[in-house]
Amino acid sequence: MTTESDSHLGEAVAARIERRWATLSIVVVGVLVGMAIFIGIDHATMPQGHVETADPKTLHLTGEFIESNLGSAMEADGSVTVRAIGQQYSFTPQCIVVPSETPVTLRATSADAVHGLLIEGTNINTMLVPGYVSELPVRFKAPGEHAMPCQEFCGIGHQGMWAKVKVVDKTAFLRMMASRRRLSCVD
Amino acid sequence: MSEQKLFTLRNPWFGAAVGITGGIAVLSFLAGLIWLPLAQPDLKISGIWDAICSAAGVPRAAPQSSVQQPDFKTSSVVLTSEMLTHPDQVSIGRGATLAQRCAICHGPEGVSDANSPNLAGQFAAVTYKELNDFKAGARVNVVMSPFAATMSNQDMLDIAAYYAYLPRVPSNKIDAELAAPRIVVTGAPMRNIPPCGACHGDIDTKAGSPWLGGQSAVYIKAQLEAFASGSRHNDISQQMRNIARQMTGEEIDQVARYYAAQP
Repeated sequence: MTTESDSHLGEAVAARIERRWATLSIVVVGVLVGMAIFIGIDHATMPQGHVETADPKTLHLTGEFIESNLGSAMEADGSVTVRAIGQQYSFTPQCIVVPSETPVTLRATSADAVHGLLIEGTNINTMLVPGYVSELPVRFKAPGEHAMPCQEFCGIGHQGMWAKVKVVDKTAFLRMMASRRRLSCVD
Repeated sequence: MSEQKLFTLRNPWFGAAVGITGGIAVLSFLAGLIWLPLAQPDLKISGIWDAICSAAGVPRAAPQSSVQQPDFKTSSVVLTSEMLTHPDQVSIGRGATLAQRCAICHGPEGVSDANSPNLAGQFAAVTYKELNDFKAGARVNVVMSPFAATMSNQDMLDIAAYYAYLPRVPSNKIDAELAAPRIVVTGAPMRNIPPCGACHGDIDTKAGSPWLGGQSAVYIKAQLEAFASGSRHNDISQQMRNIARQMTGEEIDQVARYYAAQP
């Protein structure tokens, strides 16, 4: 038999425990939201802030992703725009060349399935989703060569989908760019 | 047990739970849809409403830029994986009549020893695309280009349907004993060479990629070399040039010999 005071005691214990668990849940949610804000501000990951669309079936007909417009382009403000596409089973251009210590805008999309664009040794990592343009503002610190494998299973030949990124000294890049409108390091 | 009603603001637990949840939602909204977009200098957000739309995913027009046009003709065919997979009988019949003019090189049944492609059983999308590219000048061949120049779109559809309908005739060069070379089976991943069969039908089919079994070794080799040098460039967005460029001469020979011996 429980007495009146026993049941009051029980209620008080239950209320205390419930309050603690509720506080803990709120703290967990708060930490998660805080983490999302921190990595967004700090650019630890680079979630894209806007949406742009492109028809994957007609990329080769018109617009900025036609074959002759892919690769690195010099902008009026001194920055560089790199355009690339992922398709089953290669990236075009196969070898991307960019200058070091220069703001670079990477714009890429997919012509068929979902592909992944990852540049080894950097925090550049995004999905290429058919229908959408992925855009990343990036900056390469030092000259060097990076592998750029497809990081999202895109079909039966996925493991054979690799490109290269060559970061060169800014003056060397300008020299290479001098006679060209679009640049890549495909031989 | 207390008889107190749960869902009423007089219940302090209910009030606190709804209040805190709502508060977190509002703060997250402000942070995610306004603060974070405005904190990205590259986004060039023009105001609070623009920030909300941008973060919520309202599509934005691509920035204006000058587009570098090609100095050569590229393929203008739009390929989808389901295209031309359900031909009708009338189209096949018309194609049979039209294909008589093709027989001199491609054989009366779509198979010949002339080192021109064997078309019997070829995917309709492939024949259709190549005819289009010959007509448009994206692919050039002294014999084929004049033939394609006079074809209508319907002619090309019909011829493609007819050749897809013909059974693949096993050539007399079949050699079941010939082991598949490594480059065919696994490709060379670090050189961006996937297995051939990933696109060409042995494992999976990518629209526009031809069936290679039974093709002439001379033809396969010539095409791979043309892709590698860039003299053939009607593969959409370099999908085959990217691969052929990386292949060694020895690998091209192996691939050509292997597929010529396949059914």
